[in-house]
Amino acid sequence: MKIGLFVPCYVDAVFPEVGVATYKLLKHLVGEVDYPLNQTCCGQPMANAGFEQKAVPLAERFEEMFKGCDYVVAPSASCAAFVKLNYPRLLEGKHFCQSSDKIMDVCEFLHDILKVKQLPGKFPHKVSLHNSCHGVRELQLSSASELNIPSYSKIKDLLSLVEGITVLEPKNVDECCGFGGMFSVEEPDVSVRMGTDKLNNHIATGAEYITGPDSSCLMHMQGIAKRLHKPIKFIHVVQILAAGL
Amino acid sequence: MSTKHSRAARLFLAQKEDSQWHNQSLWYVREKRDSFAMGLPEWEELRRLSSEIKRHTITHLDKYVEQFAQQAEANGVIVHWAKDAQEHNNIVYDILKQHQAKKLVKSKSMLTEECHLNDYLISKGIDVVETDLGERILQLMKIPPAHIVMPAIHLKRQQVGKLFEEKLHTEKGNSDPTYLAHAARLHLRNEFMTADAGMTGANFGVAATGDVVVCTNEGNADMSTSLPKLHIVSMGIEKIIPNYDSLSVFVRLLARSATGQPSTTYTSHFRKARPGGEMHIVLVDNGRSDIIGNEGHWETLKCLRCGACMNTCPVYRRSGGYSYTYFIPGPIGINLGMLRSPKEYSDNVSACSLCCSCDNVCPAKVNLSEQIYRWRQDLDSLHKANQMKKFISNRLTYIYNHPKLYRMCLKFAPIINHLPRFMVYNGLNAWGEGRELPTFAKHSFGSMWKKGKVK
Amino acid sequence: MSSKEAILSNIKKNIKQQFDMPDISIQGIQYEDKLAQFIAISKAVGGNVQLVKKGEDINEIIRKLYPEAKTIASNLPEITIATANPDTIATPQELNDTDVAIARGEVGVAENGCIWIPQDVKEKAVYFIAEYLVILLQRDKIVNNMHEAYKAIHFNDYGFGSFISGPSKTADIEQALVMGAQSAKGVTVLLTEE
Repeated sequence: MKIGLFVPCYVDAVFPEVGVATYKLLKHLVGEVDYPLNQTCCGQPMANAGFEQKAVPLAERFEEMFKGCDYVVAPSASCAAFVKLNYPRLLEGKHFCQSSDKIMDVCEFLHDILKVKQLPGKFPHKVSLHNSCHGVRELQLSSASELNIPSYSKIKDLLSLVEGITVLEPKNVDECCGFGGMFSVEEPDVSVRMGTDKLNNHIATGAEYITGPDSSCLMHMQGIAKRLHKPIKFIHVVQILAAGL
Repeated sequence: MSTKHSRAARLFLAQKEDSQWHNQSLWYVREKRDSFAMGLPEWEELRRLSSEIKRHTITHLDKYVEQFAQQAEANGVIVHWAKDAQEHNNIVYDILKQHQAKKLVKSKSMLTEECHLNDYLISKGIDVVETDLGERILQLMKIPPAHIVMPAIHLKRQQVGKLFEEKLHTEKGNSDPTYLAHAARLHLRNEFMTADAGMTGANFGVAATGDVVVCTNEGNADMSTSLPKLHIVSMGIEKIIPNYDSLSVFVRLLARSATGQPSTTYTSHFRKARPGGEMHIVLVDNGRSDIIGNEGHWETLKCLRCGACMNTCPVYRRSGGYSYTYFIPGPIGINLGMLRSPKEYSDNVSACSLCCSCDNVCPAKVNLSEQIYRWRQDLDSLHKANQMKKFISNRLTYIYNHPKLYRMCLKFAPIINHLPRFMVYNGLNAWGEGRELPTFAKHSFGSMWKKGKVK
Repeated sequence: MSSKEAILSNIKKNIKQQFDMPDISIQGIQYEDKLAQFIAISKAVGGNVQLVKKGEDINEIIRKLYPEAKTIASNLPEITIATANPDTIATPQELNDTDVAIARGEVGVAENGCIWIPQDVKEKAVYFIAEYLVILLQRDKIVNNMHEAYKAIHFNDYGFGSFISGPSKTADIEQALVMGAQSAKGVTVLLTEE
């Protein structure tokens, strides 16, 4: 199984430790992991802003970079969802899209493909799980609270393998944090109010950390936490899963 | 970079307590919906059936509208056809004129809002009285509805109390909801008693039988049509459904989705005029038949007008109905507004974080978020794209397509971490209004990998 | 071209893809004890329910429930206490100030406490104008859900019917629930044995 690692642009720039944790974890579980050097971005920021055609060259580059891989794993539910759901349409008529079948968020990959049942690390802390919208509603990482379906959470399953952890969830368990890409700056007041409400719900669980599969959500809430001088810490799920490596 | 919606939302949110109360009240309705949805094991099956019945009906709509009209006419009901809002208004006024009707009592109809019927009739000298309590309050205040099911959700009891003191001569300073609602009851009872005509909308029109189905909690549709002898129904053609088997699916979904009740208090079926009375149905197109041909957006016609999408929408809850420029707010309103006039209502398209919660609560499975995303793609060709967003997207695209340049940007980005605050946090930085900027990593992942530091 | 023709032809012109009608043979929720469910939901939505044993006098029961009632409207043959008859009054406005109206329901629905009342009076205002509404329903006429209900209901020649569940209500003022918006302030369902 040949694994390609896709590190989203903001992870690359702001949270490289998330990329490092992903690499370490995958290497530990699977062996070789390829990181094509010329990768930059999946194109979601422009597409969600209304310029999806600008993502087409990025999609073509993505296809080319990862054409030798069986799976492309990314520590970002929203980027994985974007590639999976939009690349076939963006590449229609130009290229048969393979990336959409190969792309997986790292939690999805660990849970569904590797079916991980053991992890070596310890994380003896209380964490509040942030169920990012695209992870829940586009990748089905957990059962969406609106739907009458059996309850499940792939991320909780994975986190429970880490020794010492206590996983909590906020009320309004999968309400949006308000990042939404350029929404965060086009509708800054609504975005910040949404983020503040979400942050407060997380803090109310008594957790020391807020964790989730999407650094973009964490970055937004962290920005608010810093502004409000809230001491709560932020960590990506993959960093917890890779603890001890 | 702002839109009319984002600027209006800023003002809404400046009222901190009121905006928090608004958010919580609507979330509470979402929670009530959840508890009823989870109580029916067949809930997702009902949603699937609802969507499929609507898809079938809309794509055979000519047949069903004709069948509905035939049945209604066979029952002695007079059926009119209105191509657009103006024709609808003319028809309604002509009916009232023919009957020398001077006072019209109305139960709630978003279609009549769409057609601006009230203003038209008032200009012709008709006394139009809204009888839904929320709508009546707004009518007396001369302000529009803020939600399609709970139109006065944004008002506090003190505001209603003051209004009623002035208009209904209630006790000074008494803003108890029960007291005020009962004062309204007496006031509206008098209006029903002296009305010449009653108008309702229609939640559903059943093609097989010609039934007009109207759902209310107050009973005002029934009061409006039981006292005056003339009944006029305003119905959009997309309200028509095939038969009772279909109706049972929708009726089970509607109140649970809209208000978190197993049913509205009254689900009334109007088939015929009252003895000695007359019943008219005005079937309205006003762009609906064109929407059928819109490949990316025709599924908005499945909408049951329940408002569940508004109740769950984190943006609507925190910006309120008046932040939207179209008379219907929230996720469905963004889409309907764009269908009505993309150039006029494009400001609402920013009012969405693409969280997709609306898709999951919609009882008719309208693909709301996907359609909003699609409208965003059209903004540029409509010359309505936000120029700053376009600029940023162009810059980002250039950088992302040139990996060496991208790497260089990441190398220098940490400089921002050390800039004096006044340079970073100012009017140009919308992110910085309410948040601290993220700290750019000294060494990006890519640069660490290149140096062999990722093991 | 008439508006009718214009609308129908525009619809036809715009239909691109067609979808079949799905199979709607959904059974819907089934209750082990329909009666108990019906009673529970009726109460939850603000209604009263009373079981009437065989031989009990309905009129007595209603008198006891509404001792202060002066004007009682009904056209039902078994009601002896009516002071107004919605079949014979000249105008529906005369029914204003009715304290209690008594009507017959045909089908009750366990999932939501609805009762189907097909109009069987000249003036249907009687169902909505009274301060209190009493609905007589045979307890064996309760079905599980609306799928079953819509297969069971009938209309009379009047061509009107309504599913009524509990009293009239509104929450339009600050989401505070108030009973007795425009119609009945209270509803009592008398479940008869026959």
